[in-house]
Formats: sequence, structure tokens, C-alpha cells
Amino acid sequence: MDDLVLQKIAISGPTLASMIQRLSSSPADVDGLLFGHVTYIAPSTLPDDSAQTPPDSQLVATISSFLSFPSLLSFYDSLGRVDSSSLTPHLDHKSIIGWFSSRRKTPLRPSVREFSVSRSLSSIPNLSLPVQDANFNSHFSPSIFLLFTTPIQDQFVQTNQYRAFQFQSAKLRFNPVSIDIVNIGPAFRGHYGSFSPNSALPFLNCELRSLTAMNEDRTEEKLTGMKQAAKDQSELDMCTEGMQIGRLSRLIGPEAVNYTAGLEDLYQKMLSKIESLARLVETSSAKVLEQESHNRKLRYKVARSTGVE
Amino acid sequence: MSFDGFPPFISAQLHYLLNHFPDKIKVEQVLSGGKSYTGGLDRFTLLIPYCLDHIKWDVIYNAEFPLSPPDIIFGPDDEDFHPLHATGGEGEGDLKSRTRSVLSDWNNKDPTRLLALIQELRDQYMSYQRKRVGEVDDDRLKFEISTILSREGIEMHISSGAEKPEEVKFSVPLMDMNINKMVHACPWRHPQKIYLQVIYPVGRKYASTPSAPRLKLMSTIELRVLFSVDDVKLPPWLDGMCLAEYLPHLEESLEKQVLEAVSLIDIRRRFIEALAPLFGRPLEADPIFCRKATFLESSGSFVFLVHVLISTQFPKQQPALMLQSSQHISPQGVPKQSPLLTDYPWSPRWEASQMAERIYDFLVDESLNFKRFCNESQSQH
Repeated sequence: MDDLVLQKIAISGPTLASMIQRLSSSPADVDGLLFGHVTYIAPSTLPDDSAQTPPDSQLVATISSFLSFPSLLSFYDSLGRVDSSSLTPHLDHKSIIGWFSSRRKTPLRPSVREFSVSRSLSSIPNLSLPVQDANFNSHFSPSIFLLFTTPIQDQFVQTNQYRAFQFQSAKLRFNPVSIDIVNIGPAFRGHYGSFSPNSALPFLNCELRSLTAMNEDRTEEKLTGMKQAAKDQSELDMCTEGMQIGRLSRLIGPEAVNYTAGLEDLYQKMLSKIESLARLVETSSAKVLEQESHNRKLRYKVARSTGVE
Repeated sequence: MSFDGFPPFISAQLHYLLNHFPDKIKVEQVLSGGKSYTGGLDRFTLLIPYCLDHIKWDVIYNAEFPLSPPDIIFGPDDEDFHPLHATGGEGEGDLKSRTRSVLSDWNNKDPTRLLALIQELRDQYMSYQRKRVGEVDDDRLKFEISTILSREGIEMHISSGAEKPEEVKFSVPLMDMNINKMVHACPWRHPQKIYLQVIYPVGRKYASTPSAPRLKLMSTIELRVLFSVDDVKLPPWLDGMCLAEYLPHLEESLEKQVLEAVSLIDIRRRFIEALAPLFGRPLEADPIFCRKATFLESSGSFVFLVHVLISTQFPKQQPALMLQSSQHISPQGVPKQSPLLTDYPWSPRWEASQMAERIYDFLVDESLNFKRFCNESQSQH
């Protein structure tokens, strides 16, 4: 299969920042998966010179999120063979477009193992993702590799170096790809042309019940939509603690005063729910931290105990 | 070097590698990959001898995850070297599967593992370079390889920098003789060898006659104490010659010269023994190669040391003498020394006893000069 050659990789400033933050706060080397999508972008600049052939449309990969693993050799073995079954839990709603590796104070070149992992990852057939806006049915295999390191000499300012590659399975080579950091602001508005939201927030059609009468001629098409809406409604009802959406209409007009108390009651219930959730998160992250430090201690123990024999 | 900062499992494996690798490996850039230095040092660069040069490989362990095997980054010019990727090429499969098995059943408690890994990878690197050289489109080179490949231990390397013209380098080990065995009480840990470095320029396809390769003799460093390859005059490379023709003559003459160099040890030993009746028992003498002897002498109340430094060209070349005072010390705390004295009456045809006498006579006068020199420089301070 011919590799699709990427022109560039786009990553939003906050995503890159949060990645670097994660990597530099980690006690040791880390690696993980990159999620996102790949899009064909038609060239927007038309050449004045007609003799000049218009540039090919660009293939751009956008990294939208990442997942780092708490230990090395997490989704691959010591030979760099990817265990595809370990990837499946991370695949719902998201598609893997590559992976990254961060190792401090090392050359900014892929290692033996990184080569093997990239080769293995890009050759898993059911991981390849369809290219968006493509005029033909093309698939992109997860072949992006992002490498992070720090300078060999200690610096006064914390410095991170990174480089992106695309693994080309036909040539068995890494092809360096430029990274475009997309930021918010007028200068970057054009970058959001291919924006697509990644969150799994359900579309809540709340007004459905009041509007059905007007749309009777289209009920048949909407039958499945209605089922979905009913499901969404029940999800929403759970959040409202028994406060029905219809009651909100009474907030306007003379009855309003009576209902403020009811609304306040709703907010209070919601707040206490959030608070208890926060507390839950707090205790569970304390437990995670405790477990992590315990694991580290165990690993040190193993490291110290060996050589002695 | 010190192994203090390493976790014990890395230190044990690195120690074993340095002590058991057949050649001398250097370690550079020892660093820690941890956020703070608590985990210890866990990454370093190895300078591995290859084809009369070094290849630099970065070995990356992870102090936090002692159970996982180290990762390796090869040099920037070797981005097509993929030792783990099984292509199923001729003979390659075996090498690769061996490397793979070293990595797949890695055991951090076994100190021999790093050595095994590096050796397997180096073997593969050798066949990778050989394959690249074989792919070079140069008729002369193809002929040379086909005639010489049967020799054991040949290493090849292709260098292709952006600025430099493409070159292929061969390192050809010469003479199937064990020099270590020829030296009595040999102190060398690594086998000593002499190599011919042959560099072929590549790419001038349309030249009528291929230009002569650049030839240079090289030896392991420790061999220099016995035999210096710089003293060897290489036979000329005739037009249209090939390596298979050239090597037998070179080896024949080298073999003679090495044998002679070994026999010269005894000549030097006899010379040092001949010095003893006149100079007294040496304070210190090199008992294996007999390249150096030191005697304690006096001239009146002036006591000094005589260092006799004997070159590998002895007796053709006279020994260099150096006097060192036992009574005068420079402000830096270093004993006063004379420059190397090599200009005194000498004939390689003299008997050892006569050589000793002539040196003794020369030093009787020279010691007075040296004493004056020491006293004068002392009084200046």
C-alpha cells in the first residue's frame, strides 16, 4: 500500500503545552498515544501565473489529544511489537494517528525500539482512519511519531526539544514533518476551517415535545431521532433532580417569585452533587498518588536488589 | 571510570561489557533521565571500535523501570540500520533472530546481557555496512570485494557526508600470528593486531584508470611499545594492482619485521644487564619489553638518577638518557631534570659492554654539567 505523505502536522497550543507539562513533570521517560484526524485541505492561494501548476492539495494531520502511559513498554513489548489488544480500550470515539516518546538528555533521533513500534503501529490494518474531505476513499495509517527530549547540558531555563516524523512503511524510513502550532487569535482563524469537535457531548433536542405538532409530515424520518431524543431527555432529567424543563417557562411573569425558591433548591442540589463528586475525585487521586509512589518504591527495591547477587 | 552514580543492575552490566568486550570500549556522556537525580545515572554513549574508527551508540536504560531492556540510538548516518526489523534476507535472519532473543528474554539480573546485545548489534552492523558497500556501483570495488571477502575479520565502512566525496574504507587484519604469545610474560589483555586501512574513492566512474587507494598501516595502541607501524615503509601500489596481489608481499615483510622486533627485546635486555656492572643494580627496569631502566648514581656528594630510554629501533638508534637530581627541586615541587640526551658517541656494531662503557664515560662528564645547571638554577631563586 502506498503511504499518504503528510505535508504537516497541526497541534493546538494548549494540547502541546499540556503534553510538555505532562512529560516534564514525569519522574522518568514516558510515551503514549496520539489521537486526532487527518484532512485534505485544498490550496487556498491560486497562482497568478497560469503556466505554474497549482499545488497539490495538502494532507494535514491534526493532533487533538494524547494519552500517556504510566510505565514503559505499555502497549508494546521489548522488541517494539505493538499489542493491538491493549489499544482497544482507548479507541472509543477516537482514532489513533500515531504515538510519542519522551526521553530526557538523548539525541533527537528515533531509536531502534521507536523504529519498531512505529513500524508495527502503522501496519495494524484496523487502526487506519479515513481521510476527511478526500475526493477518493483513502485511509491513513497511524504513522506519526513525535519525539521529545531535553538538551544534554543542564540549562538554566527548562528547555524541551521536539521533532515530528511520519513513518513511511514502503521505504522503512522516518520522514521529518513540520509541526504547525495552532493558536487562538485572528491570525489563526484560517486554521479552524477543518475544525471538528472531538468531545462526545450528546446533542440534546429538548424542544422536541413542543415542536412535534408542526413537523408531523416528517415523523417517519424522525422516529429514530425521537428515540434518541427521549434517551437524551431521560439523561438530562437525571441531572435536574426532578425539576422538569417545562417548569422553567413559569419563571417569566407573575408566577416567577414562587418559583425562585424552587430553582434555588435545584441549584443547591446540583451544587452538593458537584461537591460530593469533587470530594470523590480528591480521595481517588490521593489513592492513585499513593499507589504510584508505592510502585516507585517497589521498582527501586528491584533495582537495588539486583546487581548485588 | 567510576560507576558510582549507576543503579547496581546497570553498573554490573556496563562493568561486564567493558571488561569482556574483545576490544576497548569507551563510555561518554553519562547522564540521568530522571526528573531529579534520585533515580541515578541511566544513559550513556558507547564508543565502540569499528573499522579502525569508532561508532557512537547511545544506550538508554531507565532507572525507574529496571526490568525493561535498554534502548539504543545509532549514529546519525545510520538511519537505515534496522537490526530488529526482520527482512528475511540471506543469512541475515539468523543474526536478527539472535538479537531479538537477547532483547525478548532480557534479564536485568544477568550482568552479561549488555555485552551480548552490543556484540550481536555490532555483528549486524558489520553485515549492514558490507551490504551497503556491495551496493556501490564501482567495478573496481566489486572486484576487490569478490577477491578479498574470504579473508577473515575484514570490516568495511562507507562514508558519505554532504561535503566529502563518497569513500569506502576497508580494515584488513594482517598476518595470522598471535603476537601476544610471542612476548614472554605478555601483559596485554586484548590481542594485538596490525591492520591495513585501505580507502577507495568512489564515484569517478569515467576515470580511465582507477586511482590508487590510500593505504595506511595501523595497529592496536599497546603494540607500539614493541613495534611501531610508523617505521614500516609500505611497498608501492602499482597501476592496475588489486588488494589480493598487494597483501601477500606486505604480510611477508611485516612478519619478518615483527619477528625481528620480538628478538630485539632480548638485545635490549642484554644491554640493560651490561649496564649493571658499571651503574649498579637498576632501581627500576621494564622487565617485559626492556624499554626503560633507571639507575641511582652519585658524583661526589651529588646524587642523581639516570633514566635510560631505549627505542624499538635499538641498537640502530642509541638510547636516550635523562638525568634527574635527587637534591634539587623546582619551586613547583618537581625534581630538576636534564633534557633528553641523545648526542653522544655511538655505534650499533659495538658489543653491549662497550656501549655501557661509552655511556658511563659520557655521563661522568655530563653529570658535572648537570650539577652546575642544578646549582645555578637553584641559586636564582
